[in-house]
Amino acid sequence: MNETMQNSPEISYTVFNNEAQLKAVQSLIEKELSEPYSIYTYRYFVYNWPQLCILARHGERYVGVIVCKMDNMDCPGMLQGYIAMLAVDPDYRLRRIGTTLVEKAIDMMIAEQADEIVLETEQSNKAALRLYDSLGFIREQRLLRYYMNGVDALRLKLILPWRSSNESSLT
Amino acid sequence: MERESSSNNEQDEWSASECGFNDPEVQRVMRGGSAAEDITQYPIHGWVDVTQEFHEACAELLPGELAQDMLFGLFEAMSAIEIMDPKMDVGMGFDKFDLPPPSFEAAVAMGAIKLDALEPAELIGIFDALFACLVSWLEGNSMDQVLFTCLYLHAPSQIQDKALRVFCIAVRNLIVVIKNIIILAAVNEEEDFQLYGNSALLAAEKAQPATIAGQLKDVEDELVRKCKKLPPAEDQNLMAVVHRLRFMRHLFQAIYQVELMASAESAEEAVNEIYKNLNVASELLPLIKRTIERGTQPVEGSEAPNPMGFSPRIHDRSQPPTFPRSIKIRERPASYQFLEEMVARFKYACKVIRHKDYYSALVSSSWLSSGILFYLSCLLQNFFIEYSRKSGHCILSRSVLQNLFSSSIRVAHGKQSMKRFLRHSVQAFNSPPVLNLKHPVASDPKVQQHLETFFRYCINMNTFNQFIRLCGFNRARQRDKLAHLIENFDPLQVDAVRLDSLMNQMANERAMEGNELHATALKHSTHFSTWVLYNCFRAMLIYLMSGFELELYAVHEFLYIYWYPYEFLVGFLVSALTRTENILLAQEEYAEHQSKMQVNGGGGGAGGKSRKAAKPKKNKKQQRPYRQEIIYYHALLSLCGGMYKAMGALTKDGRVRLPMSKFDNEEIRYNRRFAPFVPLTSPPPVSYVEFKSIRDHMMLCSVEELYSMAAKHFDQARNVLESIQNPEQEILDLLQIARTNFVVMNVLARGHQKEVKRQPEFDFSKHSYFPIMKLK
Repeated sequence: MNETMQNSPEISYTVFNNEAQLKAVQSLIEKELSEPYSIYTYRYFVYNWPQLCILARHGERYVGVIVCKMDNMDCPGMLQGYIAMLAVDPDYRLRRIGTTLVEKAIDMMIAEQADEIVLETEQSNKAALRLYDSLGFIREQRLLRYYMNGVDALRLKLILPWRSSNESSLT
Repeated sequence: MERESSSNNEQDEWSASECGFNDPEVQRVMRGGSAAEDITQYPIHGWVDVTQEFHEACAELLPGELAQDMLFGLFEAMSAIEIMDPKMDVGMGFDKFDLPPPSFEAAVAMGAIKLDALEPAELIGIFDALFACLVSWLEGNSMDQVLFTCLYLHAPSQIQDKALRVFCIAVRNLIVVIKNIIILAAVNEEEDFQLYGNSALLAAEKAQPATIAGQLKDVEDELVRKCKKLPPAEDQNLMAVVHRLRFMRHLFQAIYQVELMASAESAEEAVNEIYKNLNVASELLPLIKRTIERGTQPVEGSEAPNPMGFSPRIHDRSQPPTFPRSIKIRERPASYQFLEEMVARFKYACKVIRHKDYYSALVSSSWLSSGILFYLSCLLQNFFIEYSRKSGHCILSRSVLQNLFSSSIRVAHGKQSMKRFLRHSVQAFNSPPVLNLKHPVASDPKVQQHLETFFRYCINMNTFNQFIRLCGFNRARQRDKLAHLIENFDPLQVDAVRLDSLMNQMANERAMEGNELHATALKHSTHFSTWVLYNCFRAMLIYLMSGFELELYAVHEFLYIYWYPYEFLVGFLVSALTRTENILLAQEEYAEHQSKMQVNGGGGGAGGKSRKAAKPKKNKKQQRPYRQEIIYYHALLSLCGGMYKAMGALTKDGRVRLPMSKFDNEEIRYNRRFAPFVPLTSPPPVSYVEFKSIRDHMMLCSVEELYSMAAKHFDQARNVLESIQNPEQEILDLLQIARTNFVVMNVLARGHQKEVKRQPEFDFSKHSYFPIMKLK
């Protein structure tokens, strides 16, 4: 990392709040993820859950983004948060921007009473696995040939404490 | 993000017309009465102008905001395609100078493919490319995008060159046979294999698998005769063609026989026949691999696996409307490598299934030879587990084994196959006298009734059957299914315990009646509960350890994962086996005692007979049937102990990256990891609090002590493993792991690398359960 960057102003974080940011979201994600997403996919997320789309900004430049959703579609009666996409500009790696984005998203989801948070990541993506391991996610499932490029995925899950206490009180 | 699962559901619904029947003429005919459905004319009445309302409604939206229908969800959003984006729109792969991909007819008309008098090099090239396509199909690609890119497969009857025609017919039939086998075995998942494909093309010429071998043989003979007329130096290419045809014939026959076995009379004969074909096939493969270079080779940069006969994009436009997937057809050498390994696996499966006629042998043999029977039974169970590990992604290998197994137990046991399979499984495991048909107690009506009830219950629960089937699924699905299977063992355990206590109760009754023989046979029965428990423990162990293979555990989780088998599971297995061995030995001793009494007391022919029988008993007695397995589990126990303590030491030493987040909760993680074990009564679930207190107690030791303790475990493991005679590869691998980790632990105990607290590397390449720890 070069010196100017270390001395440069702080990274600031904002939730998605206007259409103009969509291009930034798209270009950050497209550079980093192997899967292509149609414009509808982006809009589906950012307009349904704008509060769960958080951008990291360095000055005028967008350098990281996380896109999530939260609903009870998969498991009625349980609110599930879902991290759909996470990307950080390669020039801004190793500055905990990714971790911060995930933490902020989780905080937001906890504030909205999420029971658990799930996501999928490429099995070979060591950096992502390390990040989520350190946050307490467990790798719950291996999904063979999940992605279009034929790579396996891992399904990760963070179970939040109130959910597990509900479960044990039921059993 | 989700994608695969949603897009694949769609495929079930593809009709023949959508699966590549893209001839406009055909489509027009199929639509029929299309004038009535012409959308430009519909609806004719009732148009209302909503332009004004539309503009007003739009004004309420922000730029970029969309009105979303209730039914437009994530799946719809993700399936939407942005037209003209090359990442999403298949059509963008063609630029305006591209000609449409040629169909069979077009290619013939253009003169792009030859139908007659192909050179040997051309045949070799096409055959090798087709084998590569076959392998790529078995690896999960769509049939249309690999196999049916070969135009020759579209209409083999129009090919005049006999070798090419027959080979193409064979490939088409092989496709049908393989599909049948996979459907029959039903252990495929959407990520393994795509059953659906160009059914219209496939249906165009009728499959006649029974004629294939004969047709191939004819061509081979013709070509061999031709070869003989050629000067010796010039026949090589033609012989390479012959080898490929012959390989196809034997491979086809082997696979076809597997399908036929489902209705065969004699399993043994069929398996022998399969084995013979596999043998020839595997002998031909080295010859084929050596002559790959003699064929025409794919043009560099082209997507076609061979210069002639393939139209790679022909089905692109008839695929389900998802984003274009990159299809990679395996290279030729790698494809033959795949086939070589597959054939070797089939051979291995045949070998064990052939042995497996011990089921029928079992009925007639006495309980004295149970040692050998047990060995065979273990061989079978372990084999299924082992085989599943080896065959990994190959859906055909996994399906073939399932079919061989179910066909052969059906043939061996007829209608009541499952009940008899289970009876024999218990008998082979610990030989309860009540299951020995020669023992008088077996004909006790009350005993029979109880047994009947128990086995019927087992069959209804389907647990054992499921256990074997489960081994057929891919490793990731296997683990998910095991999680559910484990809980099914609980009601079985309850029932088995009940059966055992009924047996003991009856022992008392018979003793009161003065029937000592029956009373002894029924007394101290733990046979059934031990058998169920043993199987349950194994399922639990596989579940837990498969997480390593699937890379589901973070390093900081290793500690409790290894702790559980070390503290409980493997110990349970050892004690179940030891108990069973003791029961068996006691039974044998008792039987020997009985027969001695008979010899001494009785006279005549009967005495002579039992003396004969008494002879081999002596040898049997010495061999402890479970010894090998008990030793193996002892080694496992030490290795788990070593890893558990090593993880404790490394953690305390600050060499393990721990989650430092406010969101992390070790108790939740622990509970989640052991959740499938919670429904079981036996073994009772171990709470996080219990685990924590045991671990915290261990962690009181100093780091050096902990490293030394771990080293000691690895040393024990080494000792145990070294005592095994004629070790298999797995034992040798475990030995290397134990030795290396012993050294590493000692090095760390002596304070090596004290300044740099780096997490070691955990290398699972030698064994899927245990890593070699490497200091960087």
